[in-house]
Amino acid sequence: MLLILLPVRALAHASDQAFVLLLPTGIYTFAGVLSVGLTVVLVALLPDRKLVAFSRGKLVPWPRVAGLRMIVSLLATVVLFYLFFEGFTGSRDPLANLMSLGFWVIFWIGFVILQGLFGNLWRWINPWSGVYHLLRRFVPPRWHLPTCLGYGPAVFLLLGFAAFLLVDPAPADPARLAGVGLGYWLFTLTGMLLFGPVWQRRGELFGVFLGYFARLSPLKWSGTGLRIGWPGWQIVAARPTALSLALVPLLMLATGSFDGLNETFWWLGKIGVNPLMYPGRSAVMLPTAIGLVVAVLVLLVAFSLALYIGQKLASDTASFDHSFALFAPTILPIAFGYHIAHYLPGFLVDVQYVGLMLSQRMGGDAFYVTTSFFYDASTARVIWLTQAGAVVLGHVLAIILSHIVALRHFQTARGAVLSQIPLGVFMVFYTFFGLWLLASPRGG
Amino acid sequence: MTNDKVFSKSRRNALKTLGLGAAATTLPLWARYAQAGTAEPIKVGFQAHKTGIGAAYGRWYERTTMAAAKKINDEGGINGRALEIVIEDDGTDPKRGAEVVEKFATRHNVDVGFGTLFSHVVIGSAPRAGELKLPYFVVSEGHHVASGMLNRHTLQPCITDVKSQVAAMAPFVANNLGKKVTMIFPDFAFGHDHRDFFSAAIEAQGGEVVAKIAIPPTESSFTKYFPKIPRNTDVIYHVMVGPAVLTFVKEMGEFFGPSRPEIFGFIDSLEAVDINSPGLEFLEGTYFWEGHPRYAQANQTEYDKAYRAGVGVDNTGASISDSKDIATYAHMFGCWETLHTIKAGMEAAGYQSTADRSKLIEAVEAMTDMPEGFAHPQGAKLFNGKTHQVFGHQYITKVSGGRLNLAHTTSIEDTFYPDEVDYTKQSF
Repeated sequence: MLLILLPVRALAHASDQAFVLLLPTGIYTFAGVLSVGLTVVLVALLPDRKLVAFSRGKLVPWPRVAGLRMIVSLLATVVLFYLFFEGFTGSRDPLANLMSLGFWVIFWIGFVILQGLFGNLWRWINPWSGVYHLLRRFVPPRWHLPTCLGYGPAVFLLLGFAAFLLVDPAPADPARLAGVGLGYWLFTLTGMLLFGPVWQRRGELFGVFLGYFARLSPLKWSGTGLRIGWPGWQIVAARPTALSLALVPLLMLATGSFDGLNETFWWLGKIGVNPLMYPGRSAVMLPTAIGLVVAVLVLLVAFSLALYIGQKLASDTASFDHSFALFAPTILPIAFGYHIAHYLPGFLVDVQYVGLMLSQRMGGDAFYVTTSFFYDASTARVIWLTQAGAVVLGHVLAIILSHIVALRHFQTARGAVLSQIPLGVFMVFYTFFGLWLLASPRGG
Repeated sequence: MTNDKVFSKSRRNALKTLGLGAAATTLPLWARYAQAGTAEPIKVGFQAHKTGIGAAYGRWYERTTMAAAKKINDEGGINGRALEIVIEDDGTDPKRGAEVVEKFATRHNVDVGFGTLFSHVVIGSAPRAGELKLPYFVVSEGHHVASGMLNRHTLQPCITDVKSQVAAMAPFVANNLGKKVTMIFPDFAFGHDHRDFFSAAIEAQGGEVVAKIAIPPTESSFTKYFPKIPRNTDVIYHVMVGPAVLTFVKEMGEFFGPSRPEIFGFIDSLEAVDINSPGLEFLEGTYFWEGHPRYAQANQTEYDKAYRAGVGVDNTGASISDSKDIATYAHMFGCWETLHTIKAGMEAAGYQSTADRSKLIEAVEAMTDMPEGFAHPQGAKLFNGKTHQVFGHQYITKVSGGRLNLAHTTSIEDTFYPDEVDYTKQSF
């Protein structure tokens, strides 16, 4: 009886999404889905040679600076340890602590996007290469990482990171984040010392996941120089990867999709949470964890099914595993589009906290953090259309890449086109899903 | 561990605002209070909704808190000691809220906890504050304090609870807008409280609720509910919340067109939203409850003026740094006033250290009249030491010409209801 009488403040304001719900998102969604549908048709009709140019990068001379990389990595390690220090000893406010802002805003949102645009910058700033370079002569690798594990350790850790991101009650807490970060740094360094640098390739989640996003970039930095091509050319040019590695793009997309889905009224209704009275992350840990695993499985099954039916339609004789490893990376642009779309609103606010913190530390004038752009019809529209644009462009690029991979694999246009029909349907559906996510009312 | 950087920064800005120049800012904080015999500051643990669903409110609660702390320090601190705000984020999560309270008591060793807004976080945190004997000053306007479900260590001294807010609206509605009321509310505890408190109050005024339209919380389109409004309705009482609020207003406008009944709502629906936003034209001529009028009124007091300047809010309720950033003006005064009440309580109790926490609670319990002033810019208040809940004036404003203009101020007596608990009978 007492509980019934309790006045509950709940989500007692309009929320920053109110103006989005006034936008004609139905029309926008229709336009977006139509664009992706037309891309499917257009790509099928386009002459092959127009598309082949997509798969090559042009070599331009670039100085070789391998030694410098170790120094940059060592500097990055120093910076990271400063973040840990601040996380443990600095402000308890996640929006005033460099650990939380540095990791979640600058690195997880900002740097990941830079990696997708400018290529593998992570090879330079990863905080292990330099330290390992110094230590390896004293500690020769003792063990052999079994080949049968493939990229399993990295895949497993990536799923763990997704759980930290989505399920953990306080991933932004500075001290908690510093603890987890320091633990992971030590774990990875130990892995490298025990198994050699192979651990960094197959057991370090950020390297694997950022390595994938780097392939979206027009730029490829290598020992011989810099190659420049169309966005995604590296995905087409790459040889089929190990099956375990091919799981990574799907895991990335599933995580990104569920990260949006778990805030929608639809999902909160499914898990019995009143979206206007969100009980906090700690109250929904189990359903969120289960939802994450289910999201990964559903995407895996849907994608595999589309691939399998395509193989049958095109009478493909190659094994399913081979086909999976070949085509899975082509969905990377969608994962990248989701990353941009999902984090854009949060980034617009949190990057101001970075500005505030930096200006304070330099003794500058106050930096005012505003969120008024969410509460203005015109800016809310620009933000939404930018998000939607990222999702649609991601799908368009994914369709193009997938078609070129199919052309190379099947050698005939007919085989390629037939194999792509189910994947095309999948892409159109996923575009609708992505835009629906952006337009859906959200709590949580 | 503390948020001293934000704190000292805010101080600097305040001093600049007050025109005290750079010289004062160069003096370290401790040096200004050295004469008090101890440089140890009074530590107030601010349980902030920095992340989670409360973050939009949390930003303004923090600005108001920092501005009040600045003012208090500029005026000599508390008992001659500097006031320090220690921020912990609770993620707007009740379980983390309890952990934050524990950190305040055991790790930061704060003197009091303060500032919690969202009801479920208060309800999740207050029991721990009671166990740890930490005075816990909340700013949530929930009825949970006065209902008796919490404990002697939890107080709500500067923001009225929703039970008295809702009840105090009935006389104005019945006498000025009409006696036949249709209520539209979200179908969960928050809406049910409005339904129950207001139904009883309007009947006491000789009015009646002719329809109660409960809207499922997941609804995002409302056109099918408007035909349920009876034709004999004089007044619509709406209290919708969540992302679909603007859709609700827009669709209600489309349903009624130019001829509509009187409309009364709670500003909670539109906190932080510009009343001049496209789609809200329909609200012209309608009424709102406001805890504290967002627009500076014709009879603006010097206290409201100084409060706005301190927090950085202009005469339209927007930030002076961004005229489109609308403050959560109807609620955030509670932080300003609560901090001043903590100061007054500590001074009355001769508070020296955490050993005096019980004395502080007794001193606050002994408070009654809180006169309007620089410490209480929202208006005069009457504190009930037995129920740990304050009572005060409520404001009803009318939307006209794109402003919210004051139409009525309730008396404090309008907000009274019988006591439901006597916390002073509980031992420490």
